[in-house]
Amino acid sequence: MIEFMLNGETVTTDDAPDTPLLWVVRDTFKLKGSKYGCGAGLCGACTMHVDGAAVRTCVLPISSVAGRAVTTIEGLGTPENLHPLQAAWYELSVPQCGYCQSGQIMSAAALLADNPSPSATDVDAAMAGNICRCGCYVRIKQAILQVGGTSLTDTSLAYDATLSDQETHA
Amino acid sequence: MKTLNLSRRGFLKTSGIVGGGLVVGFSLSGCGRSPLPIEPDADGFIPNAFLQITADNTMRFYCPRDEMGQGISTGLATLIGEELDVDPASFEVVFAGVHPDYNNPDFGVQMTGGSTSLSAHYLPLRQVGADTRAVLIEAAAMDLDVPANQLTTESGYVLSNGNRYPYGQFVATAATLQTPEAAPLKSSGDFRHISRTFPRIDGIAKSTGTAQFGIDVDIPGMHHAVVRRSPVAGARLKSVDKSAASSMPGVTDVIEISSGVAVVAEKYWQAKSAAEKLEPVWQEVALDQVSSASLRRDYAAQMSQDSGLVAEDEGDVGAGFEAAQKVLEGEYWTPYLAHAPLEPMNAVLNIEDGKAQLWSGTQSVQAAAGLVARFSGLEPENITVHNTYLGGAFGRRGTLTHVIEVTEIVTAVNKPVQLLWSREDDIRHGIYRPASLMRIRAGVDEAGKVTTWDAKRVGGNISPDSLKNILPGIFPGLGEGTVNWMVGLADSAMKGWITDPSSIEGLFEDYDFENVKITHTTVDHGLPLTFWRSVGHSYTSFAKESMMDELAIAADMDPVEFRLQNTKNNPRLNNVIRVAGEAMDAMTPDEGHYLGFAAHHSFATDVAEIAEVSVENGKVRVHKVTCVVDCGIAVNPDIVRAQMEGAIMFGLTAALYGNLELEAGEIQESNFHDYPILRMNEAPDVEVIIVDSGTEPTGVGEPGLPPIAPAVANAVFAATGQRLRSLPLNLGAASLQHGKEVG
Repeated sequence: MIEFMLNGETVTTDDAPDTPLLWVVRDTFKLKGSKYGCGAGLCGACTMHVDGAAVRTCVLPISSVAGRAVTTIEGLGTPENLHPLQAAWYELSVPQCGYCQSGQIMSAAALLADNPSPSATDVDAAMAGNICRCGCYVRIKQAILQVGGTSLTDTSLAYDATLSDQETHA
Repeated sequence: MKTLNLSRRGFLKTSGIVGGGLVVGFSLSGCGRSPLPIEPDADGFIPNAFLQITADNTMRFYCPRDEMGQGISTGLATLIGEELDVDPASFEVVFAGVHPDYNNPDFGVQMTGGSTSLSAHYLPLRQVGADTRAVLIEAAAMDLDVPANQLTTESGYVLSNGNRYPYGQFVATAATLQTPEAAPLKSSGDFRHISRTFPRIDGIAKSTGTAQFGIDVDIPGMHHAVVRRSPVAGARLKSVDKSAASSMPGVTDVIEISSGVAVVAEKYWQAKSAAEKLEPVWQEVALDQVSSASLRRDYAAQMSQDSGLVAEDEGDVGAGFEAAQKVLEGEYWTPYLAHAPLEPMNAVLNIEDGKAQLWSGTQSVQAAAGLVARFSGLEPENITVHNTYLGGAFGRRGTLTHVIEVTEIVTAVNKPVQLLWSREDDIRHGIYRPASLMRIRAGVDEAGKVTTWDAKRVGGNISPDSLKNILPGIFPGLGEGTVNWMVGLADSAMKGWITDPSSIEGLFEDYDFENVKITHTTVDHGLPLTFWRSVGHSYTSFAKESMMDELAIAADMDPVEFRLQNTKNNPRLNNVIRVAGEAMDAMTPDEGHYLGFAAHHSFATDVAEIAEVSVENGKVRVHKVTCVVDCGIAVNPDIVRAQMEGAIMFGLTAALYGNLELEAGEIQESNFHDYPILRMNEAPDVEVIIVDSGTEPTGVGEPGLPPIAPAVANAVFAATGQRLRSLPLNLGAASLQHGKEVG
């Protein structure tokens, strides 16, 4: 039995200790936002935060997160309460197929937590572990730089304005 | 410009009969009249297969095409919303189930591909929107007792005497009326949504992890399956000792299926761990004897023969060689490629009380339903397919062997199962873009006119395999013998009589060649083949545009000027080249950066690209790509830009890295460490310039890809003087490059 924090709640699982965190989160706790892409820590689609750091969870045995705090995309923001990165993702129409984007956003959120105003080179370095097969890189970078260039409060306001533009559009 | 009128008329005639909720669809699948796969809401008005409007003014759009990232749900919602006067962003989008009304008007079957979705639906879906708006106005006129000509609409409301009434208020009356079939469409000057940029309607779901892909489906009692398949394509299982897997925790079943051995367990990780314990033995097949080296020798042997199927022979290439001032020859190699969509193949199937429900993101729900019917023995009417978002497709999700596998598994184990392929399965047991060896001999005269173009392609054809994969699903009643006969017929026809169009498409059509000869020889070692983003254009463009660059240099002309000179009969491509040439003239590349140019017409769209490249320590780095595209009316200009950006990145992966090697018939690559995908730190900036020729929309998902590899190769030549004629581009592999000035 392994106990850890999942999006702020204490959870326990009896999955085998070598089971990767990704599959525990998806199959046992039924949170499907984090994706399987390679199973080898090469594509970043499975990225979650473990104690705040971006981690490839498809190769992270559940035994190694005992007692630690795991945050998934579901814990970062919701459609009703978007994280500033998610708001920028929407506003700039970053996603195409969308499959890699949970991992992209979790990597980007860890970067911004560490370095609130990253340069383009910082973004390249932090995001090089996340593959986007649709090739949305131009926009992913733009979205991160946009959020990094404004304070979180400003970005939230900017997003509100976008939403009301949408409503006006309607 | 593609001719679409006939199919559009057919579509309108059939889908337009929507009065009183009666829907009659045309059918090639023998289904005849069948109920729409729509869950009706209480008081929901279903005027046709595409809409449901409820009393509380919820607008549901049943999207007939599959959303694989190309933005089609936004694009099609825009078309129907424009004429219905509903904001596309306010639709609740539902991916349509199986019904002939959702057939792709270009194909006559329910399938998404070929960059057709927007163009094929451009008029039909607008007509559906206009007709529905008309019946709502008529209903409002009755309910409000106001003449219809005094009513207008805006964003889901009927306006009358300064009051706004939601459409939903009139649906009960509308449901009793005959919906018109040919309500007038808006003129482009009145468009409020078409040609406007607004965020994709799936953007929030795809930024919050709430968009549901096939892999995310989870139903009560669902077990997980992993399949061990032969490392050599086509080899069947000889024997396996199942005990090593059967005794593993959570495992409920280990069974033989047509493609190998399936392990079913309570959880995915248990199934995967158990499957790794198996040591299956496979039967021998001819492909066992093939390696990359032997394969290349077979291609070269066929290229050196004068024989081949003549696919195109216009003018007199011999006379063209005589008229040339210079004659060049180049031989171009492009390898097998996997699609590697980030979401690997998967499907969830439940069969209960003689009814089957399948969940999977596919490029054809119709084919998926047909395969479940064929391999379960159930009647097609007892099968429901739920489509989801597709985590990338690029042609890969038109082949549904995973649906066959899950059907065989569920039929045997009698419990709901999710089958998931691993990344290794995806790379090693996939279905591939064929390899090609191409040779072009071409002549140019003093005025810079191409006098002759003699090209040959050696490689496999995708059509026989495509038939093999698609026919059994689209026509579930067709016997296996008949399918094999048709596939065999296509295979021999394309070897001996008619060239598979997709094997040579793009090799010669763009320029004003008066003397042109195209020859084709099929060499096929048995790896399964299929469509891969931009299909034949993905490799022919590399040969054609590399040779055009060489000819321009031989003629001592600017590459843009040279292409303008040779596209006088092709005004739209000529204009795109001209606009791109102006952009190129305005560029001032950094020290050590070089520009390369290429242009290509595919999927009825014209694209030119300029790559800004540097070569550092023998490594090619692409800094910026400028893309000029004419795709007719850009329904959502930002999505057009996104598709160009994406196709450029996809094409760059192929240009710089994409390669599959065979050893004893086995694909050697297995995951992203040895089948790399372009990453952010390697990705160029992209600028997209949309040229609006004002015609109806043409393809967008694929045409951005073909020009990028030759644009980069041409820039590498500018940077280094090395002409790379082999993909992926590799400055260290000069021995692979065959080319010469022959006269």
